[in-house]
Amino acid sequence: MNAIIATDNLTKRFGATYVVKDINLVVHEGEIYGFLGPNGAGKTTTLKMLLGLIRPTSGSVHIFGKNLVSNERWILSQTGSLIESPSHYEHLTGLENLRIIQKLRDIPERNITEVLKIVRLEKHKDKKVREYSLGMKQRLGLAMALLSFPKLLILDEPTNGLDPAGIGEIRELIKALPAQYGMTVLLSSHLLSEIEQIATTVGIIHHGRLLYQGSMNELKKQQQPTILMKTRDNPLAKRILATKGWTSQLQGDYLVFDNMTDEEVALANKLLINANIDVLRIEEKKKTLESIFLELTGEERDERDRDSA
Amino acid sequence: MNVTVIQLEYFKLRRKRLFLISTGFLLVEILWLFLNMNQSIMRNPDQARWEPLIATISSMNGLFLPLLIAISVSRICDMEHKGNTWKLLLTLSVKRSRLYFAKFFVANGVMFTIAVLQMIAMIVYGILKDFADPVPVNVFMQFLIGILLTNAAIIALQQWVSFALKNQAFALALGMIGSFLGMTGGLFPFSIRRFFIWSYYNELSPVAQHFSHDQITYSLTNLPELLPLMGTVFIFAVSLYIIGSFSIRKKEV
Repeated sequence: MNAIIATDNLTKRFGATYVVKDINLVVHEGEIYGFLGPNGAGKTTTLKMLLGLIRPTSGSVHIFGKNLVSNERWILSQTGSLIESPSHYEHLTGLENLRIIQKLRDIPERNITEVLKIVRLEKHKDKKVREYSLGMKQRLGLAMALLSFPKLLILDEPTNGLDPAGIGEIRELIKALPAQYGMTVLLSSHLLSEIEQIATTVGIIHHGRLLYQGSMNELKKQQQPTILMKTRDNPLAKRILATKGWTSQLQGDYLVFDNMTDEEVALANKLLINANIDVLRIEEKKKTLESIFLELTGEERDERDRDSA
Repeated sequence: MNVTVIQLEYFKLRRKRLFLISTGFLLVEILWLFLNMNQSIMRNPDQARWEPLIATISSMNGLFLPLLIAISVSRICDMEHKGNTWKLLLTLSVKRSRLYFAKFFVANGVMFTIAVLQMIAMIVYGILKDFADPVPVNVFMQFLIGILLTNAAIIALQQWVSFALKNQAFALALGMIGSFLGMTGGLFPFSIRRFFIWSYYNELSPVAQHFSHDQITYSLTNLPELLPLMGTVFIFAVSLYIIGSFSIRKKEV
């Protein structure tokens, strides 16, 4: 698969603070790449660097296989974007706002009708944007990004400020874009549930560093349940069970096992009782994506704390 | 692309009521001028000439135009701050320097229209009042050049401030200060007032006023005599434009 976006150790420093550090983002053709991270993690700064709005301190950006610095004009002509809050001329109508983009991009007028239909703003096109609700403004922002039906769409928190119905609507719309129009979508969000429902690939950023990058399915595989066992003598129990091939980790008061079937749990229990070790508790714990996310971002925080100590 | 960006600047001025505000300002100024002239003519019928008319409006322009420019430029620039549209335009490959030029062009265009309307109103007044001399076309052209050059310098300064500082109160306050200095510039020695770009409406006027023994006399200043001053204000305009455009180019959005 072609890499539509590839960054090489992309870094942005403001003063002494690294907002983005050594990010190697890879977005392939036809993907919906979810760029996930808490507020202030460096998502918007990264996206702005991809669009040439801010210059990286070091590192490089390649989009469509071309260097952004030397091909910015061409790359931007193939890219639609919505960064932070949508940009509008509030004294103009929705239609007039779209007309400005249409003239600047020199694209056919019929695109306006089409995108208005896609974002369901046909009835409100002659209303001044000042009179739009937040959701309508967001939809207009999306229409402006979609107007040229670009090959690449970069959306920063596209569902911010929308009500649940609006979120669902935008989500379905974004999900349909790669198949319907052959677009590649890179979207950021601080909401895991949002990314989980839309993205095919995910990148997790925290404190300016990319902690995870891979397919959503791979991330979901980490959700497999673990078995937690608490015994009267955990170190001895760990040794006995290891002789039968069940490796475990000692975490706090528990032995933690991956991939254990019900039969295996029963056998392990019997084995420990026969060895005169009291089994106090057996629990199954299923990791949610949220706990994986928190684990990833929490570990990073711990590491940083250790570094600074 | 340049033409499209300029056309779109005019398009974006829809519903901004810029034409209404500008013509309103002009109307007040012209009415004031005509009332002033009517009184002078009543006191002394010799005043029914083109020279007093042009000299009076030149000093009034120092009061009115800096404020009108501050308001107009602020309305033209503020929409980009308010709508958060800088980043939108930049992601559409609109160069900052082009946008800066387009706004400068449009602001000058608006003020050019006002200057022409002002001139037409003055000519109509002169004809209605049966001024003895025919319309002095050359003097009016010289008058227009002076206005346009001074406009350009003030617009360049206002545009820089309106773009650099989001809060338009600063730009408007600067307009008010300019208005004050435009009106009172003549009271300062030339070595100081040459730096007041707002005072050039009066400095570049083709008609000079002389006060002696409670009498005001008028004399025409030829274009070659005004060329050094025109050069000065032109240098001001170019310098302020370059500084403003450069400061915007460096700004991260």
